[in-house]
Amino acid sequence: MSRIQPSDLRRVAWRTLLLQAAFNYERQQGIGWAYAIDPALRRLYPDEATRRERLAEHTAYFNTQPTLASFALGAVTALEEQRAAGDPVDAATIARVKSALGAALAAIGDRLFWFTLRPFAACLGVLFAVLGSPFGAIALLLSYNAVHLVLRFAGVGIGHAEGPAVLGGGLRDRLEALVRRLGLLGSVLIGVLVAALLAPGGEPASLTFQATLIGGLLFGILAALRSRPSPTQWALGLGALCLLVGFRH
Amino acid sequence: MNVAPLATVALGGVAALDAEPVAQTLLSQPLVTATVLGYLWGDWATAFEVGIVLQVLAASTLPVGSRTPEDYATGGVVGVGLALALASSQPFTIAKQGCAMMGVLVGMVVATAGIPLLKWKRRHNEGLARWCEEAVRAGDLRAPGRAQGAAVVLSFALGVTYTALCLGLGLMLLDGLVAKESLRLARAWTLARPLWLGLGLAQVLNAFLQRRLTRGVAFGTALLGAWMFFMIGGH
Repeated sequence: MSRIQPSDLRRVAWRTLLLQAAFNYERQQGIGWAYAIDPALRRLYPDEATRRERLAEHTAYFNTQPTLASFALGAVTALEEQRAAGDPVDAATIARVKSALGAALAAIGDRLFWFTLRPFAACLGVLFAVLGSPFGAIALLLSYNAVHLVLRFAGVGIGHAEGPAVLGGGLRDRLEALVRRLGLLGSVLIGVLVAALLAPGGEPASLTFQATLIGGLLFGILAALRSRPSPTQWALGLGALCLLVGFRH
Repeated sequence: MNVAPLATVALGGVAALDAEPVAQTLLSQPLVTATVLGYLWGDWATAFEVGIVLQVLAASTLPVGSRTPEDYATGGVVGVGLALALASSQPFTIAKQGCAMMGVLVGMVVATAGIPLLKWKRRHNEGLARWCEEAVRAGDLRAPGRAQGAAVVLSFALGVTYTALCLGLGLMLLDGLVAKESLRLARAWTLARPLWLGLGLAQVLNAFLQRRLTRGVAFGTALLGAWMFFMIGGH
């Protein structure tokens, strides 16, 4: 029986970069998942008919936070290895594991990446730019990808080693702790950024600027209490209002 | 031949790829594309003015659940690119501020108008996914790779086309307005810039705070401490 080699896991990890290439409403990341897991199936199922059947199964619906999908891919690769060895693992078991891991990883991944790490990296980059440094973009990219790419590439190996219990064994706690720390650091970062905007170059900004910035902050806090209109729709409305004021005077 | 407009359009395609189909490394974020465009057009000041505002607004947009997020990848490239293109024929700072105002506004409109395009692409990919499963069952084991390739090419082509159309249209409609009304637009920018920054930062702060008192205290302490540091350090 063939076993998964480290080189297969590396290929799977590289292919996770295209997990969302054919993202759609019907199967979401299904095609990306099938494409990513294919190197492992090629190793496990030399018989083309069996591999064809397994690959077709993997084109089904799958969705989770794209970075943490690596952990699910690694875990399902381990299950496929057991299945190829003749263990009692069937298609329904694999579909259940995919669904359960997808939901659990999305719950923590959305909070980690979309609610904390991405805004944190963006604010760090903006702070550099506001302070007059041309390296804001580099700060943004480094701070985000130091976590994103490491988890993306290491996730497949960790998932394969741990199997379907990948979120046990402390991984969930470590990710939750990272979310908490980034939330606290992000709050501090916004404080520093607002201060840098209020006192650019050590001189207080104009009174108009200070008043409208604070007005914008207060308005934003109120707007955040409602999910609609979106921040962009509010911003467009404010922009139109400012144009009106600019043209009326 | 000036390569900056062509490079801007190509960057729109690259940003569209990074935003969803390939890697999601945040290369598509407005601050990153603004840095590249500032270098290409040789005007860092205008690029950062527009890029910072669009970045803060992009950070407050969360691609979670079934909600299709605004397309700030293309919005960022078009907004900054348009401001730079308009500003390239304006010699005075005040006129460049008017260009920045129009750049941010157009960037937001392009990001919002990009939602239906993104939805169309996702629906188009449904057909690709169905074809892929049928092809695999029929024995074509390379079908997932081919489907992925087709989807990547489609995303790049859409990004390039959308960027080119919006930039062209924006230049055609706004060049005269910026030249004639630079003073009024600059006045609007003086008001809009801090309002937009405040609105976006408040949304991001809300995501960080999660109604926790300790984080609110950390924000207040950092604001006060950093303000004192900047004020004392500046003298």
